[in-house]
Amino acid sequence: MFKFLPYILKTLWRHRARTLLTFSGAAVSLFVFCFVVSLQQGLDRLTSQSDSTLIVFQANKFCPATSHLQQDYDRIINRLPGVRDVVPIQVFTNNCRASLDVVVFYGVPPQKLRAVRDFELLAGSWSEFENNQDAGVVGQAVAGRRNLKPGDRFSIGEVTVTVAGIFTSENKAEENYIYTHLEFLQRTRGLNLVGTVTQHEVVLDAAADPAQIADKIDERFRGGPVQTDTRTKGTFQAASLADLVDLIGLTHYLGYACLGLMAVLILTTNFMSVQDRIQEHAVLQTIGFGGLQVFSLIMTESVLLSLAGGATGIVAALTVLANSGIAVSAEAVSLALTPSTSLAAIGLELSVAVGVLAGMLPALTAARAEIVPALRSV
Amino acid sequence: MLIEIRNLTKTFRKGDETITPLNDVTLDIDRGEFVSLMGPSGTGKSTLLNQIAGIDRPDAGSITVAGTEITHLSRSRLARWRAEHVGYIFQTHNLIPVLTAYENVELPLLLLPFDRSERRRRVQIALEAVDLVDRASHYPRQLSGGQEQRIGIARAIVADPTVVVADEPTGDLDAATSAQILELLQRLNRELDTTLLMVTHDTDAAAIAGRQLQLDHGQILERGQVVPQ
Repeated sequence: MFKFLPYILKTLWRHRARTLLTFSGAAVSLFVFCFVVSLQQGLDRLTSQSDSTLIVFQANKFCPATSHLQQDYDRIINRLPGVRDVVPIQVFTNNCRASLDVVVFYGVPPQKLRAVRDFELLAGSWSEFENNQDAGVVGQAVAGRRNLKPGDRFSIGEVTVTVAGIFTSENKAEENYIYTHLEFLQRTRGLNLVGTVTQHEVVLDAAADPAQIADKIDERFRGGPVQTDTRTKGTFQAASLADLVDLIGLTHYLGYACLGLMAVLILTTNFMSVQDRIQEHAVLQTIGFGGLQVFSLIMTESVLLSLAGGATGIVAALTVLANSGIAVSAEAVSLALTPSTSLAAIGLELSVAVGVLAGMLPALTAARAEIVPALRSV
Repeated sequence: MLIEIRNLTKTFRKGDETITPLNDVTLDIDRGEFVSLMGPSGTGKSTLLNQIAGIDRPDAGSITVAGTEITHLSRSRLARWRAEHVGYIFQTHNLIPVLTAYENVELPLLLLPFDRSERRRRVQIALEAVDLVDRASHYPRQLSGGQEQRIGIARAIVADPTVVVADEPTGDLDAATSAQILELLQRLNRELDTTLLMVTHDTDAAAIAGRQLQLDHGQILERGQVVPQ
């Protein structure tokens, strides 16, 4: 089929406007599809996080603004067998509901941040953060969205921090948060939360049983001043995003609809192309092309068109995802939309599949046409 | 004998009417012959040509070309056989518009086991034979009708087929260009010993062939006589 590639490419070029329109349709379809898949992949990443970290939250509370645990629970939890470390965290967010531009502050003891997070500073310094109580390290995505750089002052409501650094993380969702000193966030005017935290993050030993320890923690505080609800971090984040999960499930249909539209568009183009070239295909068969070869020519045209348009849409989507730092947040948990090789691979595979599906019927029609009547058609 | 046609019958349904353009036709054509087939419109000249070229199938009878009985070949084997054994010259040239003259002539060779250099050599020879080497890079829209037909002829002979069939090859051309095309066909037959079967309704065109046949009411007539059936 490689020998016929010039003929195939010139044929596509002959009807440039039609080819370009179909190409554009395929590109737009895959662009949207990539966003849908990226949303699902972001959710999967959050909910499948390691079981070796537990989140202790106030029982029967959902929004971080309403969860108030005793800070000294950390010492009690730390004594449990299997617990390696406990990090008390105060969370402050400007919006508990689902939104595209939520700012989430995580107040943690500064000396513990680098121990429990894999952050790498892109700008600024750790010492600047550790030595200044009103300092914060800002995730790359937030910094991009808010145009922040080290030294800038940044306020949300009563919380005003000085940017000490911009960090990147393997976990892209983290890049949508701002980390400050725990005490600073507790003492922020209007919050008055000294002695309490929103949650405790419990890091377990590798051999520990998360479910058993979670039960032990909740059991320990059942009669305490504040009852707890302890879950693995993945389960906790899935619960926080529960409202979004259904919505994301629904967006799957949008993704499939895009692929369907793309298939119909390419199918229409292929049929028009075959109708235009009934006589030409008959000439090819007269000089010795077999039905299979005519079939392959049209299938190759269809797949090339689908793949070229799809690949363009994928590249555009990956570029936007890589540079825009888009995230959907709810209840102070952010779901980051990020590019990935698996996203590109899924997109390319589906582009080929759509090209094959959309080419099949027109290719069969052309390959099975009777030569003599086709030669007489105009 | 190169082509042996035995008791060939072809019928068509046209509404309630049954038309029989070929009725028990028997015909032999020898290697190197230049045969013209004449007859009024609708008498089945092209139908017979298409049977020999393997692009249509008869209802009854047999066609044997160079020892191969083609009427029972599968669709795919028949396509392969056409690529190897038949050169087809169309009335309306039927060049592929997106391909250059060179690429059009090369097209049949892409189906055969020739490497690039062999294909180039053969295309060069075919273009020289039709005296259009200097138009190799031209697209069909950049050629005159006569030049298009000569490229069509080059495409038909480039694979050195067993038989070349021409369906009204001068039907779309003016008198002067027609004369050039007929002279070219005659030269190909004479110099390359190409076996040629040409359908025409032009008596002057038919006259250049070494053997002239007439098809009338489904029967072959040769030099004014009915061929014994």
